[in-house]
Amino acid sequence: MISQKKDNPPTIIEDVLEKPSSRRSFLKGASIAAAAGSAVLATGCMPGGNTAASGELTLRWQEFFKKNYRIMSQEEKDETVERLERLAKIQDNIDVQIGSDPPIENVLYGYAFNITRCEGFMECVTACVKENNLDRKTNTQYIRIFEMEPGQLDPSTGDGQYFHKVPVEDKFYMGAQCFHCENAPCIKACPTKATWREPDGIVVVDYNWCIGCRYCMAACPYYGRRFNWGKGEVPKEEITTKQHYLGNRKRPMGKMEKCTFCIQRTRRGKLPACVEACPTGSRVFGNLLDPDSEIRYVLKHKKVFRMKENIGTQPKFWYFID
Amino acid sequence: MKITINSSISPVIASFLIALFLGGGTVLAANEKSLLTEIKEFNKPFDSLSVKQVQPVTRKTVKAREKYQGGSFQVLARKQAIERYKCSSCHKDKPVLVNQAMELTHSDIAINHGRKGNELTCIDCHHPDDRDYLEDKKGRKIDFDHSYQLCGQCHFRQKRDWLGGAHGKRVSNWAGDRVIYNCASCHNPHSPRFKKRFPATYSVPLD
Repeated sequence: MISQKKDNPPTIIEDVLEKPSSRRSFLKGASIAAAAGSAVLATGCMPGGNTAASGELTLRWQEFFKKNYRIMSQEEKDETVERLERLAKIQDNIDVQIGSDPPIENVLYGYAFNITRCEGFMECVTACVKENNLDRKTNTQYIRIFEMEPGQLDPSTGDGQYFHKVPVEDKFYMGAQCFHCENAPCIKACPTKATWREPDGIVVVDYNWCIGCRYCMAACPYYGRRFNWGKGEVPKEEITTKQHYLGNRKRPMGKMEKCTFCIQRTRRGKLPACVEACPTGSRVFGNLLDPDSEIRYVLKHKKVFRMKENIGTQPKFWYFID
Repeated sequence: MKITINSSISPVIASFLIALFLGGGTVLAANEKSLLTEIKEFNKPFDSLSVKQVQPVTRKTVKAREKYQGGSFQVLARKQAIERYKCSSCHKDKPVLVNQAMELTHSDIAINHGRKGNELTCIDCHHPDDRDYLEDKKGRKIDFDHSYQLCGQCHFRQKRDWLGGAHGKRVSNWAGDRVIYNCASCHNPHSPRFKKRFPATYSVPLD
């Protein structure tokens, strides 16, 4: 479909690109000009001393030129978090607390899903949507649950749009989400290094560095990533205000997003929202490096398997049966 | 001189090349450690109390009378959730002689536990004399807060998994003190299978 499009590059853009001017020098020039312009805007257009509006402009300006989260110092992280909190207050009039909690030492998160126990109530899905402030308009969901025929183990053969009372006899239910691979293809595919694996094993996205090219979406063999098509419409009273920079904060339009094991919760010792919401206890979450954890018990004593194990992505998400 | 060196090295190179052609992939795979092997090498216990900012569970808990992987843990208490506890406020040493007392107080209980046609009766689990307690098949009194001791008589596989962490789940935190759901926190003991109901939402196909 895409290849059928005619290659018709506009020559002006080509000219600009081929000129011997570096991106850095261009931005420098542009930023000086724009800073002058914005100062005129802020002071000249709003003579009433509308501090909120000029503040917003300054904040957005500073936000635009911040670094990638991975090379920020702790002070810079604190600054950007504060800016984002103030922007949320100015733009949407809500008080959010955005964290930048670092990974906990000697922790590697792992997840197990019991396909014998899951009965397809989908309460994990709604809990996830609420916790992560997912767009209600486009019905974005990080988790999918499929009703499976016996003998099938590939979720693409399952039916996710069942509408009848569950569980049904002779069917089983299987969930799919981001598996947080140790050897994640999405990280390799990203051209801007906007997605990476944190030391505690969570694969995260820096929403401000993502350019929305969706290469990672194409690279993911598990359909774990979601594209933010809209502005992210969430009813104000339903917004989760405890947020994380790499987690459930407000995403700009046109960015990739995905399950982060609820980074804003797990880095403070809480279980992800899906685990807490599961009424059947099919979801097990814990520290893989702790020999006494529940997840290690499951790996040791249960029959476990991972999806598409042969492709060597090493997902940290196991399915198991009782 | 040169020729002799070559002739001594060439079998080594040849065998190496053959190995590379035949089993190159497998050799590499064997050198690469799998995630599971790496994980298994971590045997040092992790101090989950060292995780900062963990909010302790606010719900009422009791210390379990069993051990979990060598350590103790907490379970959610049950008694405060039983509406008419203490039972001995009616069930004393004398029989209850109020008219229709059974229908008025316990008619909401429908027993759906055990094989069809061979369902359990009240005193299979409840203590026949001291109604504030349960009774197992060996005649021991069992506290309502520790009902896992009773349920585990038949459901020993589930109990084993529950102790280990593959059945049931922890309350709110993965770190900090281990607090887990009790049997009756999720299952209605009179009708333990979850009721069928409509799903909360739906999922779109994978692609």
